[in-house]
Amino acid sequence: MSSAPSTIPAVPAAKPRRIRSGQERTNWPTTAILLVCTLGVLVPLFVTVSMAFKTTGQAVDGNAFSLPSPLTFDSFAQAWTLTNFPRGFAISVFVSVIAVTGEIVVSALAAYAILRNWDRRIFRWSFFYLLAAMFIPFPVVALPQIQLTGMVGLDNPLGVAVLHIVFALAFNTMLFTAFLRSIPLELEESMRMDGAGTWQVFWKLIFPLLGPMSATVGIFAFIASWNDFMMPSLIISDPEMQTIPVLQKIFQTQFSNSYNVAFASYLMAMAPAIVVYLFTQRWVMAGLTQGAVK
Amino acid sequence: MLPPLTSAGTRLSRRTFLAAAGSSLAAAGLAACSPAEARPTINFHQSKPEAVPYFRDLAAKFTGSQDRFRVLHDMATNLSASFVRSSPPDLGCLNYNLEMARFMERGALSDLADLPEAASIRDDVLDLTNWYPTYAGRTSVIPYSVMAASVIYNRRIFADNGLEVPTTWDQFVDVCERLKSAGITPIYGTFRDPWTIAQGLFDYTVGGMVDVRAFYKSMHDVGEKVGPDSEVSFQETLLEPVRRMVQLTGYVNPDASSRGYGDGNTAMAQGQAAMYFQGPWAFGEIEKAGTDLDLGTFPLPMTGDPADLKVRVNIDLSLWVPEASNGQEGARAFLHYLLKPDIQNPYNAKFLGFGTVKDAPAVTDPRIADMQEYYDDGRFYMGASQFIPNTIPAANYLQSIVAGADAKSTLARMDADWARLAFRA
Repeated sequence: MSSAPSTIPAVPAAKPRRIRSGQERTNWPTTAILLVCTLGVLVPLFVTVSMAFKTTGQAVDGNAFSLPSPLTFDSFAQAWTLTNFPRGFAISVFVSVIAVTGEIVVSALAAYAILRNWDRRIFRWSFFYLLAAMFIPFPVVALPQIQLTGMVGLDNPLGVAVLHIVFALAFNTMLFTAFLRSIPLELEESMRMDGAGTWQVFWKLIFPLLGPMSATVGIFAFIASWNDFMMPSLIISDPEMQTIPVLQKIFQTQFSNSYNVAFASYLMAMAPAIVVYLFTQRWVMAGLTQGAVK
Repeated sequence: MLPPLTSAGTRLSRRTFLAAAGSSLAAAGLAACSPAEARPTINFHQSKPEAVPYFRDLAAKFTGSQDRFRVLHDMATNLSASFVRSSPPDLGCLNYNLEMARFMERGALSDLADLPEAASIRDDVLDLTNWYPTYAGRTSVIPYSVMAASVIYNRRIFADNGLEVPTTWDQFVDVCERLKSAGITPIYGTFRDPWTIAQGLFDYTVGGMVDVRAFYKSMHDVGEKVGPDSEVSFQETLLEPVRRMVQLTGYVNPDASSRGYGDGNTAMAQGQAAMYFQGPWAFGEIEKAGTDLDLGTFPLPMTGDPADLKVRVNIDLSLWVPEASNGQEGARAFLHYLLKPDIQNPYNAKFLGFGTVKDAPAVTDPRIADMQEYYDDGRFYMGASQFIPNTIPAANYLQSIVAGADAKSTLARMDADWARLAFRA
């Protein structure tokens, strides 16, 4: 077939790492700095948790760091009913699941097609065309998007998920392309010798090999779609189909603050992100350096 | 040779596919949400957070009381986006301001003049909507609740120090001086939040001295020629009130520049200061702390004549029905329901608003009751800061004045912004 070899050379051999003597000794200054940095995460988290269990009166007494007394679960109940939590949560999950799977599959397919046809002008240009989209943030095209989705009947959670996939396509394709270049073409050729078609090669060989990068893309896709406020708030027209972050905006306005209810609600909305992170953190760590070196 | 044909082909089919998928999902979702309901859904947009449970309850009651319409309470839809999409809410119940007036000005809101309820609204209250740009020949907006704002003061601190409510500027300064020498913070400032400066210090000082409506009418007439030599301008007409505003910042808490609105409410709840330049919406927040307080309100005196006293008002909630709504009949039915005296009056009593109909009962809450006479007599103005388009960061300019910038040159900058905007329009 015409799948010409990639013009990009294989990954250069890793440089021999310099081994420092005494590496087993604890680096106290760095540890101290890191400890201080962890406070940046832990302190807000502590305030969030303790606020969520406070009564309204205690929440506004000006002592954010005080422990809740009496302990109350009222805020959770209030947040639950005010945002109609189960429905909002389900919609958010729906959007995130489609966005995550869609972003992984579509971008991987695009990256594979582009890279294996790199010698053809149309594919090369389409790659640059996709990359150009990275310079167009959503807010810039928000108005036409609202009109467009309204016209084609996509002013609903599915439309939001589709837009997430499309807007992330540029960056994800770039990540996948960079990673694909490190997969030797010989693997693919041997499979083709055995009679596999392009489709089989992709699903049985390439896609599994792309695993680490898929995890990276998936994690970013989840965080972006789960926490997104602007796109669902603008695109979804039916208030009963709104996602959790948008429903939560009623807790904080210019004129009023309900810290305890707001934080209870945020805590409930944060839970899935934290759970996902706990289970996927080793991939997150790996993912951060994935594609960093071509 | 392949690309043009295939790309066009796939694009078309993809679009139809997505449209089909999208609409089928929407249909499935709607069907799931309202099982076996044939009656049309009226989308009721209301997003004042503290009133959400109240209105949600009303919507449910109305839905239950008749079998023609189902009212869906909406607090999440982005308003501008819904108008862009030509699927605006059927009935809006929102704060009426310059942003909202844009929709009115362009004729996006339908005429409600034929409703009998429109005639029951007080003329001077209905006229408040005309302070903003209007659409000729239409009554597009029905005021539902008016909020009156003036200086919030702690009655106990005033009584303990033998102070009377001031009715002239000199008396007011004297009150501040006496509080200060008694070791009490006269005014609690929350200058970290720029809007609190604009709606409090700025609006009260300007509103007490300048005819706000006439001022902005002239400002619009002069337009791009606004400057140091024009008939009206920020730097000339508003200079004196702004100077007095700066004078008042001498009586605020020393840490005012790092305190926000939430801190101010907490401080007032704890009796840390005698006066607070906020509207009645702050009462709900102050109340949350659950402290025992005796608060009242009085208009900020800016002249030497007690007859000049006025309070600041705004249309906190107004009802409107968009032209593009396809549920106008149901929207009007619910509007009619909301305007019934036994629905509207309890709302205003509960959320410290003033009624908008001619025979509305007087407010009874002691915290705002002192403003009733001003409201009844029509001695009110709308906040000067409310008529400056968001494109001009007026609140931030005022914040820099309060923080020590030169008032005259900062106001001159506002003039330049105003002129530039008028030139562009």
